[in-house]
Amino acid sequence: MDATPARAHGADMTKGLARQVRGWLLGSVVVGGVSAVLLVCQFILLAHLVDDLAFHDRGLDTEFSVFGLILACLVGQVGARFVSDILGTQAGLRVAGHVRGKLLAHLFAAGPVVCAGVPAGEVVTTFTEGARALVPYFARYVPSAAMMVVLPLLILAVVAGVDGWSFLVLACTGPLVPVFMVFVGYGAQTIMDRRWRELSLLGGSFLDALRGLKTLRLFGRTQDSLDRIARLADAHGRTTLSVMKVAFLTSAALEFFSSLSIALVAVVFGTRLLAGTADFRSAFLVLLLAPEYFMPLRTFSASYHARQNAQAAMEHMGKLFALPAQAERYTLPALLPAGGVGTLVCSGLEVHTPDGAPVLQHVTCHFARNQLTVLTGASGAGKTTLLNTLLGFLQPVAGSLGAYDTSGQSMPLHGVRMACVPQYPLMVFGTVADNLRLGVPGADMQQLRQAATLADALGFIEALPEGFETHIGERGSRLSGGQVRRLALARALLQNPDVLVLDEPTAGLDAVSALHVANALRRCVAGRIVVVATHRQALADRADALLHVAGGTVESVPVQKETVA
Amino acid sequence: MSMPQDSLAGGAQGFFRLSVGLRWRLALGVGFACAAALASFGLLFLSGWLLAGAAVAGLGGQAVARAFNIVLPATGVRFFAMVRIIARYLERVVAHDGALRLGGHLRAWVYARLAPLAPAGLMGQQGGDLLGRFVSDTDKVAAYYTDVALPFLRALLCGVVFVGVFACFMLPAAALLAAGLLLGGVLVPLLVGPAMDRLVRREAERQSHIQAELAQTLQNMGEYLLLDAASSRAGQWQAQQAEMDRACWKLDVLESAARGLITLITFATALGVLVLAVSACRAGQLSIAEVPMLVLGVLAAFDVAAPLPLARQAAAQAKLATIRLDAACPPSTPRPVVQGADLPHAPYDLVVRDLSFAYPKTVSPVLQNANLIIRQGEHVGLVGPSGIGKSSLINLLFGFYAPDSGSISFGGVDVGTLRAEDMAAFVSVAAQDFHLFAGTLRDNLLLAAPHATEQELADVLETAQLTQFIQSLPQGLQTWVGNDGLRLSGGQARRVAVAQALLRGTPWLVLDEPTEGLDAALEQGLMAALVQRCEQTTIVCMTHRQAVLPFMHRVIRVEDACFRPGGGSDMKS
Repeated sequence: MDATPARAHGADMTKGLARQVRGWLLGSVVVGGVSAVLLVCQFILLAHLVDDLAFHDRGLDTEFSVFGLILACLVGQVGARFVSDILGTQAGLRVAGHVRGKLLAHLFAAGPVVCAGVPAGEVVTTFTEGARALVPYFARYVPSAAMMVVLPLLILAVVAGVDGWSFLVLACTGPLVPVFMVFVGYGAQTIMDRRWRELSLLGGSFLDALRGLKTLRLFGRTQDSLDRIARLADAHGRTTLSVMKVAFLTSAALEFFSSLSIALVAVVFGTRLLAGTADFRSAFLVLLLAPEYFMPLRTFSASYHARQNAQAAMEHMGKLFALPAQAERYTLPALLPAGGVGTLVCSGLEVHTPDGAPVLQHVTCHFARNQLTVLTGASGAGKTTLLNTLLGFLQPVAGSLGAYDTSGQSMPLHGVRMACVPQYPLMVFGTVADNLRLGVPGADMQQLRQAATLADALGFIEALPEGFETHIGERGSRLSGGQVRRLALARALLQNPDVLVLDEPTAGLDAVSALHVANALRRCVAGRIVVVATHRQALADRADALLHVAGGTVESVPVQKETVA
Repeated sequence: MSMPQDSLAGGAQGFFRLSVGLRWRLALGVGFACAAALASFGLLFLSGWLLAGAAVAGLGGQAVARAFNIVLPATGVRFFAMVRIIARYLERVVAHDGALRLGGHLRAWVYARLAPLAPAGLMGQQGGDLLGRFVSDTDKVAAYYTDVALPFLRALLCGVVFVGVFACFMLPAAALLAAGLLLGGVLVPLLVGPAMDRLVRREAERQSHIQAELAQTLQNMGEYLLLDAASSRAGQWQAQQAEMDRACWKLDVLESAARGLITLITFATALGVLVLAVSACRAGQLSIAEVPMLVLGVLAAFDVAAPLPLARQAAAQAKLATIRLDAACPPSTPRPVVQGADLPHAPYDLVVRDLSFAYPKTVSPVLQNANLIIRQGEHVGLVGPSGIGKSSLINLLFGFYAPDSGSISFGGVDVGTLRAEDMAAFVSVAAQDFHLFAGTLRDNLLLAAPHATEQELADVLETAQLTQFIQSLPQGLQTWVGNDGLRLSGGQARRVAVAQALLRGTPWLVLDEPTEGLDAALEQGLMAALVQRCEQTTIVCMTHRQAVLPFMHRVIRVEDACFRPGGGSDMKS
């Protein structure tokens, strides 16, 4: 079955995660055990009390101490149960937090190119709802699995001390329950495996239909699809129920044994009481304890779907964890002082997309300091892939990317300070200054102004109502496209990068804005390598070096005019 | 099974109208649930009496013991045990069946409401999985029956019966039980209810905020990495998550506390009943055997109150989900179905005048005062950098979005007066964001044209250069595609979409990047076959691939938010 390896992986993950919160889980189980002991004590006292009052003509006033003890046990039992639940929840939440942290770190290690291959909605759902599905598993399922062992054994021990026959009844029926549950559970699992595709297909049919709504409308099939969705929903209900019916047999088995043993205890004890060979106190106690004997089993089987949800969630997480870590370079901090990089050299570079499709082959070119290098070529030709490789978001399959300092000495790539301005730059909710300081949190006003000047952004920033302290709105909605680009450029410059990479910096801008950006770019060239991918001729005209990307490779194009900034 | 139209009209009550058709089934589920609970009560109640009665008789000596008829109560105990087993199973099956049917109806209802809004109304503002939310909200609303209505109704109905049974033996005990059940079953849920509502709401708000933030982080991951802000970003996000976890934790504490409170009330009531029963027994109003019976009865009766805190929490969630679904699918006023004369008529020319358009909540316009005329029968290439207005033309043509100003007319009719479904009769689109449904390849092809013949299928597959690929599949057209099926490569999937569009045989064919992901030979083959097959058809080919353009009559460039005549030497740069 397709799902099996992922399931096995999920089981491994569960163990690892349980280890993470062992203390909390252990606490939950121990306190739960205390609660179980108190519960049994409470029932012993209650049986004692009822027996005394009903059969031994004790006055109510003589039993005050027993009342007190029962209440004490009750409060202790309830309190301990409460604490146990809370410890379990804490364990669950901690696991969820831990998994989210690890996942996020892994995604950052995978890098933007790899992550772009997974639908954002799926990632977001795995993070939030997936991690959330782990909580009940650790909060309820794991403690209840432990409690399933503790409480029945405890009750069995007490009953053994009270009455042999009842012990026999409970000891025989108790173990049969798990046996039957496993038996039926396997049956249900087999059916589920056999109908796995059908179930997952129908289960996902609603989401599938919603995703395809636009396609259906374009085909003019909206009306027919209404019937289709109703039919699929119907089939989903029927299939699910047919599997559930088998799964319900599990609880029916549980129900059978628990009802049967109560009835047996009552009838067997009744006969013996009648014959005078048993005393009421033990009979009543066993009758009180019998339902509790099966209660943990019931709680456990009720939390069974928590396990299934958690397993499904872990399969999804497994998929994300399986993403290759492509952006390795950024796991290291920038170690070297800035300003030393002379050239970046690509030799025989071969780059594939994360799913293995070749994009660039035999790319040999270089990018020099104090030069504006412009990449041209049709979209889809591999310009962005080359930029992503330079930035370290994609690792080449063959060939190498090297950095050399101004004296021609080879230097480690992770010592090169990179900065980039993507086509749709990140704008966080906050002021202009907040956005500029993202990369250099400690930058002072002087530095901000300097960077803004260089990026040709100072003019418009100062024209804003509150200057650097102006809020830019959700995703920079209060700024124009050109202003956002220049702000992002200023932010990149604030980091004083050795290499500055820009993807389509003038796309979607009118001629005037494009000119502003182009002029700003020319000014940034001093002391660094600037690489720009563009469609625009205006920008290509200002290049010091032109590279044309086509047919999976890169060619150097002679620059027409003799300009050096 | 299709939804009656009137159920699409109402607001939140529309959901509940859905359950009307299922009311007997749903009521049967409640009936079995009550039967199971009553049998459970009867089992313990009678067992208590049996034991105590036998004990009394046993103590009374041989004669009394022989006079005691144990067969009848023993049979009763077995009867209740059997009823409990069977009723529990039937309850599960019937209740879940009802819930699943309800869920099915609800899905169809939500779908019918959402359909006219697609795709504009379904776009997540910040890329969060809005569709996934629809699914989970629908499930939560459907779970209302099993998780909320059933436990509360069972508690109410059985509670009345329990109190009635107690009243047959001893009125004060019945009153005490009633008081206890009211405290545990009504007061406790009322007490924790508002706080649960608040926490569930806050949790949901946080959740959507956090999802939006995460989507943004993913989208701008490169910059976060390069700005060296990734770890602080991750920290911030985790802190927000931790805050949400706190709300979740409070909710759990509240539920646990409520459950604990009900346990306390249970035993307090049991002790109270014990005291009352013993007093009554001493006063001769009650037999000794009835004392343990009543005590056990109280413990059994409270079984129906125990699940109520959890049910109250589920109610809070269902309420919120209802509100969200209701807000997301407002009752739509469908455009009137256009008949005969008002439908586009030949020649099917597209005339775009002074069209300006920007997507909602964006600043830069996609089109500004754009003009365009495409005559019937023309083969036009539409070029320009990706993400600039080419695909928007499809959205505007089908009325998925309304233009900010200007007009689009097709076949002499303003497209604003047409429904997307009307337009589809004239224009076939192979969109860039097309969707392959989970199903076989044949299912997907027939979805576009339900009445296509085998020969037609074979023809379009040949044109789309898919014949060889399909033949290479062991199951051919019966191969599963979609989420859990065969993963088609981008180019293969794109050609399936082209085949779908071709199969519909409309006068117009709009292809968005049809040759994306194809190698040069396939690209040539596809385009050649296409123009040969569709000589009479108007073809609009949106592309950035130069090799496609020679197959077109003329080329239009989308540039600076306008349509410009293209072609010639400047194209090749």
